[in-house]
Amino acid sequence: MPEKLIDLKNITKRYDENVVLDDFSLYIRENEFVTLLGPSGCGKTTTLRIIGGFEKPDSGTVLFQNKDITDLPPNKRELNTVFQKYALFPHMTIADNIAFGLRIHKKSDAYIRDKISYALKLVNLEGYENRMPESLSGGQQQRIAIARAIVNEPKVLLLDEPLGALDLKLRQDMQYELIRLKNELGITFVYVTHDQEEALTMSDTIVVMNQGYIQQIGTPTDIYNEPQNAFVADFIGDSNIVSGIMIRDKLVEILGARFDCVDTGFGENRPVDVVIRPEDIDLVDPKDGTIEGVVTDVIFKGVHYEMCVMSNGFEWIVHSTDCFPVDTHVGIHVDPFDIQIMHKPESEDEKAVAVDE
Amino acid sequence: MKKHRGIKMLYLILMLIFLYAPILTLMVLSFNASKSRSKWGGFTLDWYISLVEDGAIISAFKTTLIIAFLSAFIATILGTAACIGMQTMRRKFRRLILAITNIPMLNADIVTGVSLMLLFIAARMTMGFKTVLLAHITFNIPYVILSVMPRFKQLNRNTYEAALDLGASPIYAFFRVTLPDLMPAIFSGFLMSFTMSLDDFIITHFTKGAGFDTLSTKIYSEVKKGIKPEIYALSTLMFAAVLLLLWLVNYHPWTRRKNDGANKKKFRALPGAAAVIVTVLCVSGLLSGCGSSAAADYSNPNSLFIYNAGEYIDPDLLTEFEDETGINVVYDEFETLEIMYPKVESGAAKYDLICPSDYMIEKMKDNDLLQPINIDNIPNLKNIGESYWETARSFDPENKYAVPYCWGTVGILYNKTMVDEPVDSWSILWNEKYKDQILMQDSVRDAMMVALKSLGYSANTTDEKELREATELLKKQKPLVQAYVVDQVRDKMIGNEAALGVIYSGEAIFTKRENPDLDYVVPKEGSNIWLDCWVMPKSAKHIENAEKFLNFLSRPDIAYRNFDYITYSTPNTAARELIPDEDIRNSEIAFPDLTKMSDLETYSFLGEKEDRYLNSLWREVKAH
Repeated sequence: MPEKLIDLKNITKRYDENVVLDDFSLYIRENEFVTLLGPSGCGKTTTLRIIGGFEKPDSGTVLFQNKDITDLPPNKRELNTVFQKYALFPHMTIADNIAFGLRIHKKSDAYIRDKISYALKLVNLEGYENRMPESLSGGQQQRIAIARAIVNEPKVLLLDEPLGALDLKLRQDMQYELIRLKNELGITFVYVTHDQEEALTMSDTIVVMNQGYIQQIGTPTDIYNEPQNAFVADFIGDSNIVSGIMIRDKLVEILGARFDCVDTGFGENRPVDVVIRPEDIDLVDPKDGTIEGVVTDVIFKGVHYEMCVMSNGFEWIVHSTDCFPVDTHVGIHVDPFDIQIMHKPESEDEKAVAVDE
Repeated sequence: MKKHRGIKMLYLILMLIFLYAPILTLMVLSFNASKSRSKWGGFTLDWYISLVEDGAIISAFKTTLIIAFLSAFIATILGTAACIGMQTMRRKFRRLILAITNIPMLNADIVTGVSLMLLFIAARMTMGFKTVLLAHITFNIPYVILSVMPRFKQLNRNTYEAALDLGASPIYAFFRVTLPDLMPAIFSGFLMSFTMSLDDFIITHFTKGAGFDTLSTKIYSEVKKGIKPEIYALSTLMFAAVLLLLWLVNYHPWTRRKNDGANKKKFRALPGAAAVIVTVLCVSGLLSGCGSSAAADYSNPNSLFIYNAGEYIDPDLLTEFEDETGINVVYDEFETLEIMYPKVESGAAKYDLICPSDYMIEKMKDNDLLQPINIDNIPNLKNIGESYWETARSFDPENKYAVPYCWGTVGILYNKTMVDEPVDSWSILWNEKYKDQILMQDSVRDAMMVALKSLGYSANTTDEKELREATELLKKQKPLVQAYVVDQVRDKMIGNEAALGVIYSGEAIFTKRENPDLDYVVPKEGSNIWLDCWVMPKSAKHIENAEKFLNFLSRPDIAYRNFDYITYSTPNTAARELIPDEDIRNSEIAFPDLTKMSDLETYSFLGEKEDRYLNSLWREVKAH
């Protein structure tokens, strides 16, 4: 296992009465692409700013290669940030923007020249040296911002929703670009986003956050397929979350019908939350299904149809390449390994409390 | 539709005429070869040429530029620093501070001016370049904040953080990244301040000192003497300059956020050039200004500082005195004695000779502000008539401090065609026959004097019973009075709008010349006689020069010419002999025989408490 590069220990941060991070701990390993994912206000940007040195935690420590950097100002830290709104210096040329950090560190002119052309090549913007930032498109500006950060050869690159202001197509292109950069440069990326698709596409590790607490840490596959609580399940992709009763190991009752599943260890006759992804529901002939329902709504989504199926007072969301018209009576079938069982939170508070890794 | 457009056009044109007709008139007149304001005498640039040749105006112009540049420059630094500070404050506190800094801008200039004057006086600062500069910096700072603060809010805070992130220290990041981003707003704040400073009259007026003038105060003092075409030219130039600056502030790309980087370099040239020109002008003004400001330096032994009421001397005589003696005269005018007094008392204004009235001389003497004048060193004082020395003894018993300069009486001006009985008594002002034909002075001492004298009391009485009686008498008179006015007595009487009016003798000579039906009389019950004298404040340093000046003024030919210019009665008997017009020389109005007139009293200083009491009585009359 690679070394822990960044280690946040028991960080608490308040703005006035508002607690943004509460006893927050997280470590990031070398050469990892870590994404902090969560809705706005979950504390992900604050975490990034604490790592960058722009905010000081009220308590707790930040370790970088096992050295305490909690009180180190940003200009003394060996990491660089790519900001959400590019933050290029508007009165400087692209070359001057990129050379800004190098000049401060008193690099030679020849070195700076080489670095500029190397960085521009890396972000596919060769020949833009003498342009002004405002003459570039949003995507180009963001790439310059990345170039400006990486020429300083930081150990860690912090990216604060860098693609948030770009349109969909550009965003997708940039996602691949970032993965390529990460692989070429071999440095650690800490990436903040609220876009689950971005997180799933690029990350080695995703940290799902809500209200200042970590909800789940894991690979994209883990997070998607085995959400540990209703919040994660709901936030990552579309989900059907329905109350159920765990009859015994490998058998759960949902809406009065019994489904086979693969989960064990929840006890007997315990209330649980059941998560079933829309694409994991098979619509079959009513007599072949575990439970019956009526199609109430159909929307064509391109790759698939999205349908609402009403059964016993619960509305299922179903994704399927086959279309069932409205008012069709259908049966619902789910394979046992597609059913994800979760503990029911006992209070509202518990919903947001950190889950052990 | 078409008809409506015509109406809209017409409305627009009318509005533009309404807005710009005055300034256009001024501009046209500045090129008019004829001095007349109503006749076109052909196109000329003569007024502009003579303007450039006028040393006093050019020096005022330089002063204006220096003050404008320095005050705008310093205010820009202070204002920008204030914005930086405010930016880091909490929102609530920032709003409060912002509101506080905005208040001086909304405050009436006159309030700002007077309060700054009081502050400088309280701080015992000498009024001059320094005080005006401080005042201008003060009123400019809010404009800089107003211009810079919104830009701060637009600023992408991330650029500053990005600079830190790339290894810049906070100071380096500010100067290299934040400041260039703010520059357009800072530049427009500077230009706005520069314009405000160029424009300002009122605040400068109250905070300036001896021999110091900016263009606007210079224009004001010139206009008081009569409007010369050079002033049209000067005003036109000022208007054009301010217009140019405002254009730079509002429309120039350099002060606006530009969207196209390619155009930037092209646009930069023009304001850059403008900035260079402004700077060169200011610096050259600053250098040459050092020379001219030395002229107003009180420590220069070869100078004389004079403080007089407005339009109270023939200005040619000052030049003549300078030519004759080589002494450099710094001449200043005060608005009222009440404004003069605190400036002199605090030492904020340093003068060698001041010309106050009787009661004020008494007050200054009582407060130990005067030094004796050595009459033996001024031989020409023998030309002052003994009766005037006698009058002066009422406030200067040993004739030690005051040299008589001008004097006069208060009396009744009447229209011979409208009044059929002989006028020789104040009582005619209570005659029902002249209801709505009577004009009274709107001044507490003069009005009270009329009532007290007609009751047979002293004009300086403090007896409560006598004052009460006089008040009741004035109340009784009120229904008969057409109006309580000051200067309008003269105009209304000339225009035959009233039959009787209380007026000063100096004005009487003038009105009689304009309307021969008018005549002036000092009523037999007695009246006020006022006497203005030259006094030397204790702090005066150029005593010998002051003595030379008083000797010069008392020379018969000089005193006569001065009388001819200002038309107030001169106490110089030798000068009176030189008046060619026999009617004036022997005029009962200009030169009444003081020995024949009893009961002429000077006003004496009654004390603050008594002044307040008199004022309350006067309000009672006015409200009746």
